Amino acid sequence: MTVLADILTILLNGLQQGAIYVLLAVGLSIILGTLKFVNFAHGALYLIGAYLGLFITGQVPLSNGQLADWGIEAYGIGLGFTAALVLVPIIVFIIGILMERFVARSFYDRPDTDQILVTFGLAVIVQELLRALLGGSSQPFPQPGWASGPISLPIIGNFPRWRLGVIAITAVLVIGVYALVEYTDFGLIVQAGTLDEEMVRLLGIRLSRPYLVVFGIGAALAGVAGVVGGPLANVNPNIGTEQLVPAFLTVVIGGVGKIEGAVVAGLMLGTLQVALIQTGYAAWSQVGIYALAAVILLVRPQGLLGSEVDVA
Amino acid sequence: MSDEPRDATPAAASESGADVSDGFAARLSRFRERESSTVLITIVGVLVFPFIFNNLLNGYTQLATLMLIWGIFAVGFDILLGYTGLLSFGHAVFWGGAAYAAGIFSASVSSQPLLVLLAGTVFAVLLAWVVGFLSLRRGGIYFAILTLTFGQMAFYLAASPLAFLTNGENGFTSVTIAPLLGVIDLHGGVPFPLSIAVDNMLYVFVAVVTVLSVAMANRILHSPYGIVFRAIRENERRAEFVGLHVWRYKLMAFIISAAFAGIAGSLFAIEGNYVPLGSLYWTESGAIVIMTVLGGVGSLFGPLFGAGLYLYIENIVSGFETLGSFWHLILGIVFVVAVVVFPDGIWGGIEYLRDKVTGGDES
Amino acid sequence: MPTNGSSVSRRQLLQTTGAAGTVGIAGLAGCSGDGGDGGGGGGDGGDGGDSDSYPALGNFPVEGDTVTFGFNVPQSGPYSSEGQDELRAYQLAKKHLNNGGGWIEDFEDLSGDGVLGYTVDSVNGDTATDADTARQSAQRMINRDDAVMVSGGSSSAVAIAVQGLCQQENVMFMACLTHSNDTTGKDCVRYGFREMFNAYMTGQALAPVLEEEYGSDNTFYQLYADYSWGQTVQESMNQFLSDVGWEELNSVPTPLGTSDFSSYLSEAANSGADVLLLDHYGLDGANSVSQAVNAGLDEDMEIVVPLYNRPMAQAAGGSIEGVFGTIAWDSQIDNDASNSFTTAFEDEYDRVPSGPAQLAYAQTLQYAAAAERAGTFYPPEVIRELEDYEYDNVGLGQETMRACDHQAQRSIPVARGLPESEQSDGNFIDLVQVTSRDDVGYACDSGPAAECELGEYGDE
Repeated sequence: MTVLADILTILLNGLQQGAIYVLLAVGLSIILGTLKFVNFAHGALYLIGAYLGLFITGQVPLSNGQLADWGIEAYGIGLGFTAALVLVPIIVFIIGILMERFVARSFYDRPDTDQILVTFGLAVIVQELLRALLGGSSQPFPQPGWASGPISLPIIGNFPRWRLGVIAITAVLVIGVYALVEYTDFGLIVQAGTLDEEMVRLLGIRLSRPYLVVFGIGAALAGVAGVVGGPLANVNPNIGTEQLVPAFLTVVIGGVGKIEGAVVAGLMLGTLQVALIQTGYAAWSQVGIYALAAVILLVRPQGLLGSEVDVA
Repeated sequence: MSDEPRDATPAAASESGADVSDGFAARLSRFRERESSTVLITIVGVLVFPFIFNNLLNGYTQLATLMLIWGIFAVGFDILLGYTGLLSFGHAVFWGGAAYAAGIFSASVSSQPLLVLLAGTVFAVLLAWVVGFLSLRRGGIYFAILTLTFGQMAFYLAASPLAFLTNGENGFTSVTIAPLLGVIDLHGGVPFPLSIAVDNMLYVFVAVVTVLSVAMANRILHSPYGIVFRAIRENERRAEFVGLHVWRYKLMAFIISAAFAGIAGSLFAIEGNYVPLGSLYWTESGAIVIMTVLGGVGSLFGPLFGAGLYLYIENIVSGFETLGSFWHLILGIVFVVAVVVFPDGIWGGIEYLRDKVTGGDES
Repeated sequence: MPTNGSSVSRRQLLQTTGAAGTVGIAGLAGCSGDGGDGGGGGGDGGDGGDSDSYPALGNFPVEGDTVTFGFNVPQSGPYSSEGQDELRAYQLAKKHLNNGGGWIEDFEDLSGDGVLGYTVDSVNGDTATDADTARQSAQRMINRDDAVMVSGGSSSAVAIAVQGLCQQENVMFMACLTHSNDTTGKDCVRYGFREMFNAYMTGQALAPVLEEEYGSDNTFYQLYADYSWGQTVQESMNQFLSDVGWEELNSVPTPLGTSDFSSYLSEAANSGADVLLLDHYGLDGANSVSQAVNAGLDEDMEIVVPLYNRPMAQAAGGSIEGVFGTIAWDSQIDNDASNSFTTAFEDEYDRVPSGPAQLAYAQTLQYAAAAERAGTFYPPEVIRELEDYEYDNVGLGQETMRACDHQAQRSIPVARGLPESEQSDGNFIDLVQVTSRDDVGYACDSGPAAECELGEYGDE
């Protein structure tokens, strides 16, 4: 093994590790930047995405939980992975819209603290509902058949095929959202609303509909992240809250509302984590990302690419 | 400061308003009276509680003990959240940190319960100084996320790099607790007059600490400090304009709340003879948020009540035949309802209802 | 407007709300009705003779006419599929103790009509594979439900935390699946007993098999779960593989509950070792094996999982092919006790029992039998009955529950994973050999036992 191969492996693993952080963080960041809404339930949307993905992809046997007690042995409609990849974002988009309309909207005028509390509560409800119904045990999320097994790459050698897929899907989605925000009229309104909401209203543009869509897109990204990230590990009711913390870190490190920021920060965290593991400092890998986050936040509170404008 | 009622919590507003507008002497005498009655209520409460709990509510003394321990934690947390308006998502670091400090102290320095308690609390205070100093540079969500970050960092530090001290995932199993003052075995029974009420010395010890903690919290909240805390929550900018050094008071509130977390965490180590790694995990921070908000922010007894209710649902209701498996879900729903409908929590709701029924005391 | 909180009104408030609260919650509790044995049901104390002869200790004497066992298993977290199988076996054991069946006929001490005239009742808890949750759950069983015996404990961290509590509360702990050396080593207690073997014995049983299969000049790399169990497996495997001339290149801890091992595996692949040891258990183990195969590691190195079981092999699917490891027990072990347990379990649940299930069943019955022999639930007497007890009725030949460390001296099954094409009907592994207890083990003053101090019986 050469040093070059080592470095490339670390970068590729870091990219893969960071990809899920990025997907979650981009959604979280545009919601926070545009709507000034702190969504602690973003992890729950990831969780919903993962379980929906399982449900659409295959048949999952139930071994504990209330549904099993009621005699239901399995759930799922078995449409396959690709169907899940298409359907889940649509469903979670709708969930996001409902959430904006019925939860977030009435909290825009209340303090951050209340927003955090109510969304934290919602996250607990989603997580515990799934646990009560489907049981707390972890379900393996099968990788799509076309992407299982290793692929042989130059210099690096064997690499799991699905992990390359994760990187590709993330890249496509993030570029898509970036284009939407940067180059469309919709994006223009959203950007303007982020900078000066009052002025946009004075110009006679209603912001409630764009806001609805922004929330929906953010949610849909979290949903896709659940489908894409599920096969990397397992699905259980805790994965939402486990992902939430690094996702929030990614947002604030990158700078609130900045898609590029979220990408840079996510990849930084992923690469650092992987690099520590692969250079023999595995024990410090988790501490490392939190320490990095703390340092960046203290030195540059607005985040790497954030502007000086304070949040809410 | 004016007493213009622009606060969402009418009780707190009118209370603080009254405090400020009355003469100092009158206020002081009323406070004295109120302080002794608060302490008295707490003493009577902790005395009759185990009897009612064990005989009427399916409880057991160990759980009653744990309720008081979490209650102390919640009372302190409320000073930060309810009175000063700062939401920390990292208080597990003080709870768990103090528990580890107390445990390690007991194993390697002295196993005297009072010294162990002191060691854990001092550690929490020092830690809070550092964490608070760094986290309070920014408000709102940055504060919540920075505290969360430091909390998680502590968890992962204890899990692996510091495992030689903490014993990592296994938990710290070498806690040793000597008899209190050299004679009273904390894990033993209780002598006659007290044994009518309780059956366990540890409960008595924790109950005494609880009473002292409540008295201390009460005194802090009615001191000039407490009044400034409330002023900061109601309108930070206005507090700044009248010349208050807001940042310093916030740090003080943070450290005070961590001191309570430290007392509670040390008691937790003494109670269990064991410190789990999970005591540093951020779900513990989440639990204390739920307890405090559920019970009612901005009141002294609300958080105590919330802690008790949370543990009751977790440990007793979870054993019920049909509802049991939904206990956590029920908590979540009640919590959201409390946030949306009853910003003052269940305790605040009870107070509100009482006022409805009695028509209030004077107004 | 509300009051300004004068002392009188506060007191009134507390009285009224206190009373209201009490009534409300009591009503709620009342709803539970059958939620346990709370009331004690007005039993006459059964054949109360035994409560006269011994003082009260822990949850002795047993009140009413039922005796409660606490089954504390992981129903969530990485070890939950094992936990579910354990729970099935516990329920089966309870049923057999009360109504006969299974091993009851072969255990001469048991009648199939309860234990000591008491009907066996049980409470279940979810440990969430977390020591703190498990400890709270056990505390509940002991204090709320008056359990006289607690069993369960995958994750050795759980077993160690719970048995420490049991020692403190003078309640018996029958360990079930815990494989760390520390459970009957430095963290052993008088009130805990373990039928399962430990990492040290796994090393002794597995090293010769690996040497024979892969030769004597190998290098190996270990990933291990970073807590008591994984740490002792890493240590013991290193010790016994070094004895056969293998060399450890590196060993890296992974946190319990890690689900994505990719970076760890990349580093393992880079090491150039001949053999990769994955000291992970439960779902973590299934994950690490399948991710290793998915990353193509099996093309260049041999994979070994020192401890695994049927649910893990099932979850890992084809990835388990050719992987060596030790298992607690398997239904392919052909003797009367094994077969009768397999049949009883299949009749009840229509599935093949796993190793952890056999442990759960065996340890419950062992406790019941010891209580019958002692003629009382008084814990010190039950402990003395279990210590140095010789038996051969749990399907693994002649065994001794050693008095010096409460570790069963028993034989150890070594298994190898089947290729996916040959996996069927709950059959995922091939039994390579059952290593006799004469070839493994250690004296009371050596190995893990040297660090064991059991503590007090409670009647000194």
